Amino acid sequence: MKITVKLIGPFVNQLGFSEKEMEVALSSTVEGLLALVGIDKARPRIVTRNGRAVAPGEEVREGDRIVISPLYSGG
Amino acid sequence: MNGWTGQILRVNLTTKTSKIETFSEEFARKWIGGRGFAVKILYDELKPGIDPLGPDNKLIVAVGPIAGIPAPNTGKTVVAAKSPITGGYGDGNLGTRITEHLRRCGYDALIVEGRADRPTMLYIEDDKVEFLPADEVWGKGTYATNDWIYAKYGKGVGVLNIGQGGENLVRYAVIRSLEGRAGGRPGMGAVMGSKRLKAIVAKGTKPIPQADPAGMKKLGHDDLKKVHEIDKQSGWSIQSTTGVLAWCNEVAALPVRNFRKTHHPDAWKVDGERLNNARIATYGCPNCTMRCGITIHDDAGRESELDYENVGLLGPNLEIFDLPQVAALNYMCDDYGIDTMSGGCVLSFYADAVDHGAVAGDIRFGEAEKFKKILTAIALRQGEVGNLLAEGSLRAARKIGKGSEAYAMQVKGLEVAAYNCKFIPGMALAFGVSPIGAHHKESWVITFELKQTSRESYGPEKAQKVIDLQRIRGGLFEYIVACRFPWIELGWGLENYPKYFNAVSGLNWTLDDFWTVSDRVYAMIKLFWLREYPQTDRKLDYPPAVWFDPANVDTEGPIAGQHLEYDKYDGLLQHYYDIRGYDRRGIPTRATLERLGLAAEAKAAEKFGSLT
Repeated sequence: MKITVKLIGPFVNQLGFSEKEMEVALSSTVEGLLALVGIDKARPRIVTRNGRAVAPGEEVREGDRIVISPLYSGG
Repeated sequence: MNGWTGQILRVNLTTKTSKIETFSEEFARKWIGGRGFAVKILYDELKPGIDPLGPDNKLIVAVGPIAGIPAPNTGKTVVAAKSPITGGYGDGNLGTRITEHLRRCGYDALIVEGRADRPTMLYIEDDKVEFLPADEVWGKGTYATNDWIYAKYGKGVGVLNIGQGGENLVRYAVIRSLEGRAGGRPGMGAVMGSKRLKAIVAKGTKPIPQADPAGMKKLGHDDLKKVHEIDKQSGWSIQSTTGVLAWCNEVAALPVRNFRKTHHPDAWKVDGERLNNARIATYGCPNCTMRCGITIHDDAGRESELDYENVGLLGPNLEIFDLPQVAALNYMCDDYGIDTMSGGCVLSFYADAVDHGAVAGDIRFGEAEKFKKILTAIALRQGEVGNLLAEGSLRAARKIGKGSEAYAMQVKGLEVAAYNCKFIPGMALAFGVSPIGAHHKESWVITFELKQTSRESYGPEKAQKVIDLQRIRGGLFEYIVACRFPWIELGWGLENYPKYFNAVSGLNWTLDDFWTVSDRVYAMIKLFWLREYPQTDRKLDYPPAVWFDPANVDTEGPIAGQHLEYDKYDGLLQHYYDIRGYDRRGIPTRATLERLGLAAEAKAAEKFGSLT
């Protein structure tokens, strides 16, 4: 299924893209997606699905917009 | 007294005199420095009801015990006074070489009283204090003023100055330093201007009293290197604070069109990636190894130092999606010495009021050139519009009437920061209970709300989180005086700050010792407000009404149809008061004040307002 992945902040430079469409397996979880994209497991982050925070074990669905951001703290 | 010089310099601009006063170790340990010193001095010395723009107001410049000593981000100074925009306690902090120089002149704080009879520059060099004419730069912007000062004294001195905004008493005029540093959102620049004080320059050569200077020097230098490495690894300063713009746009927290909307398809044009791509320089505060000031050319080719708040409130909030134009508005605010945040919110307020027909005017969202003209009119107080908007959005709205208060995005008169809390209750609370009016620097809980609780919740955990962060952000970092960025953005351990404090003071404090000071400082600020507003009410701790308005909900996106709810917000506010030991008005109870060592101050406050 097709989803869109958007990276925020330093993840853009670290992983070499800002936003892209990805083909992922059905029943892919957020955690699996993070590994696929290459996010360092140790790096604190927040993941949102269509603008709402989502837990690592949740599945992504066709057409989802997944945004992966480091934890900003309001400066 | 290690850690403190033990001295405060008091200057009187009316009589052109100065004197050195000392403070006790007890005072030092009770208030630490920075905001703690400032609020205590202002509470003790100001009579309630004075005009913030009159000669009876006092400007406090206060550093902290680790200030100016090489260690992560210790180059900041607090500036404070009774605020011209809120009428309550006001302060801000900014990165400046004044921090180290004031300490090396032998002072932990400066109190400026009275009013000069002509434009004046205060020059402090070790034991020398001079009141020098500044007529040559009166009427000039902060950049030209800075250049003038550097031409006289060299670039190594510490400088605080104001632009035309402060001279013309724009109620949200700030104090400026270095290339793009500014502080004192609640009108500290206007207080300086009301005193005809154009600049404060300091040059100090004395050692800073420390218990273990060699140990602190090694510790500080080593830690500066470590913070630099962490920043390099994390990549935070690639986009700096502006990295959050794209995220706010995704989670419907971006201010767009005077906070009417929470996201915009063109927001990417002014995001952190674009800013980094346009970077020509990076500036920062003294003793900083994660410099946040990404600088680009504006549309006139001038260097403009930007961060998230500037871009958010002068960009999407005005529906301007062109970085050079945003940079131009930012440059103008900096040069005029006007707060970019309030400046952006006042401009958006006006455009919204015109758009809704509350007032006639020639401005539409997105019209950058017209916004520039209005900004100039504000700074120079030209014409009806300039004079109206120089008063801030709340006063302007009250003058316009016709329900335009609905468009003024402010709390207690101070305009909000660039986080649209249409459906973020905890952050709305953070704005509501910020002690100086709406400001995110006290507490920022958006990630906590989205990740660890939920947007829908108004539970006590959110109030507790706001308080936990206030104790650190609005407490510790404001009186020890250091920038919180290494801790808050890079995860630099909070336990390092007692380490620095103990190394300079010779004391043995833990973080718990500081939390008591934080609560004390917050309670003291509340007493200041109570004396100014004896009829105070919990409604003063409410965020802008538009966030509660069903007619203002998003029609699409992640929070479509949702808004804050009054009874639930009131419940959240009550949680905050209960945890803090405040009464239903949001004023500390007698028991709380006694616990915090403020019995005498409580007695003084009761002459003006009641305590529970």
